[in-house]
Amino acid sequence: MGGFNVLVVDDEEEFRDLIIKRLIKRGLKVEGAESGKRALEFLEHSDTDVVLLDVKMPGMDGIETLRNIRNLRPLVEVVILTGHATVDSGIEGMKLGAFDYLMKPIELEPLLEKLADAYEKKRLHQEKIEQAQMKKHIAMPG
Amino acid sequence: MKLKNHYTTLWLRLIVAFGLLVSIPVVLLVLVTTDNLKNAAIEKIEVSIGRLVEHKENVISLFLKDQKDLLVILVGMYPGGYLGLQENLNTLFKSVNQTSSIVDLHVIDSSGNQLAYVGPYSQSILGKNYNDAPWFQDVLINGSHISDVFLGFRNVPHFVVAVTDPLKSYVLRATINSESFNKLLRSSQIGPNGESFIVNKEGILQTPGRQGQIELSADDKSRLEHHEGTVVTRNKETIIATRWVEDGRWCLFVKSRIEDSLEPFYEKRNNVIAIIVSTSVLFLILAAIFTSYFLARLEAYERKKSELGHQMVQMEKMASIGRLAAGIAHEINNPLQMITNQAGWMGELLPDEDPALVKNMGEYQKVVEQIKFHVRRASTITHRLLGFSRKISVEKESVQINDLIGETLSFVEHEAGSQNITIVKNLAENLPVTMTDGPQLQQVFLNLINNAIDEVGKGGVIEIRTVVGTGNTIGIEFADNGHGIKPENLKKIFDPFFTTKDLGKGTGLGLYISYDIVRKLGGTIKVENRKSGGAVFTIVLPVNSFNQPR
Repeated sequence: MGGFNVLVVDDEEEFRDLIIKRLIKRGLKVEGAESGKRALEFLEHSDTDVVLLDVKMPGMDGIETLRNIRNLRPLVEVVILTGHATVDSGIEGMKLGAFDYLMKPIELEPLLEKLADAYEKKRLHQEKIEQAQMKKHIAMPG
Repeated sequence: MKLKNHYTTLWLRLIVAFGLLVSIPVVLLVLVTTDNLKNAAIEKIEVSIGRLVEHKENVISLFLKDQKDLLVILVGMYPGGYLGLQENLNTLFKSVNQTSSIVDLHVIDSSGNQLAYVGPYSQSILGKNYNDAPWFQDVLINGSHISDVFLGFRNVPHFVVAVTDPLKSYVLRATINSESFNKLLRSSQIGPNGESFIVNKEGILQTPGRQGQIELSADDKSRLEHHEGTVVTRNKETIIATRWVEDGRWCLFVKSRIEDSLEPFYEKRNNVIAIIVSTSVLFLILAAIFTSYFLARLEAYERKKSELGHQMVQMEKMASIGRLAAGIAHEINNPLQMITNQAGWMGELLPDEDPALVKNMGEYQKVVEQIKFHVRRASTITHRLLGFSRKISVEKESVQINDLIGETLSFVEHEAGSQNITIVKNLAENLPVTMTDGPQLQQVFLNLINNAIDEVGKGGVIEIRTVVGTGNTIGIEFADNGHGIKPENLKKIFDPFFTTKDLGKGTGLGLYISYDIVRKLGGTIKVENRKSGGAVFTIVLPVNSFNQPR
């Protein structure tokens, strides 16, 4: 697993910083954002592959952030983290295009696995697009 | 018991109410009916007495008429000259005497001098002149005269009838024995206390009264006014019928004590009362039966209602407990996350250390693992409480329960060992593998084993057994040799927050969650006390094979 880019979006500073530290130690390139708004700002100019998104946040909540991310960067995969009791928000998230959802408390190994799977999907998707583009170029020279 | 008394009181009250409700109108009914019956009876008696007195009066009048008629015929047939001769009178008297009640015959001339006499009073009438006698005056004026009754010869009642010939030249007078109509009157007496007699206009009795009185009582005198036909009157105790004999001189009284005539009435009345009373009693009995029945239904209904009410309250309680628990679980997930995160981070950093410099490196690593392990446990509980399971753990996997038990036991080896608790395993060799949720099942096993450890204490024995059950099932038993479970607790033991441990030492959730898990996995769990002492929990799980639909 090569290093890929992750954006951790969570309003809880301690959690966010710790996750970032741990993921970095595991070889990923990780940034953080403390709100949905900040996350969107960041995504505009960044190269993020996977977003780890907390569902419950003040201001723009997780689901709305997810919607905006899907609009802004459709290729970016989102893994939802929920401490909420409800499966509903997780499922809602899936319907809106999240890759998967995880429930707190989650340990690092399963988290890594999930992030890696998400990245893999993005990578394959991206590859397909590039291949299609190449085919288009070959078919239509000039 | 209090409730029982309440219903008994209610029943009694209803019965008393019914009783009053029935008895008051019934009593009224009885009184009115018997009163009516009595009046009807008395009226009947009155009617019959009236008829009687009429009949008797007719007979008496006929008798009197007969006597008078006889004399009238005689004076019509024989002139005074003939009858005035003693021999002729004797002859006449002999033939007349046979058939009638005539006691004597007296022929008197218009001046009052006796012409001839035949009869028993010849001594007393000797030489008498009747010119001034009122009766003589009367007969000369009116052509006939009937006297009042007097006690005559041998104290037999007599009265006198006298008639004149059509030319009023002489008077024929006869003394009549009235014993015959005394007899008649006696036979018309009604009842042992009744009487009948004849009085004259002045109220003097002409026939013997019962008590031997001569004059009428004041009460009877008040009825003495001349009237047409029969008059029947009543005082408190007696019915009195009066009828004037045809010439208006005498009045016939027939009296009867009401009481004596009421025999048939009493019989009827008693029958009526018996019928009414027995009907009422029957009704009361029926009412009592129905009341009992309805009260029993009412009681059953109220008990059911109260049970349902309790159930509702219980459900409400469970629901709010559930909500509370969910709230708590929800809140706990975040700190749990932080704990596992921090511990995990420490675990990641430890390998960076030089083991030579860190004396307890191994221990630290173990500690980190344990922290993570217990956070996993805690989170399983909170997820259970929150009513859903992680997507990962719901996925059924192939589980060998014997191995699962072994693994679970490894977690508690240390604690069991320190308490000298013996764990006896009796695992079936051919136990089939089943598709189920391993971790959750393990949580159940752990819960049961921990409970058993707490129960038996030092030196206790815990037995774990697995068997292949009938109908493609697996049976797992967890038994201990503790004190067993109190019978009243056996039903409650799977309730949430039910615990027999001291405050703070148990949440009361373990068995509740275990019960829920086993149920969700399609199995059953039950508990009972062993004959050999202690308790045994029995879990039965279906054997799910790989290609079964979920």
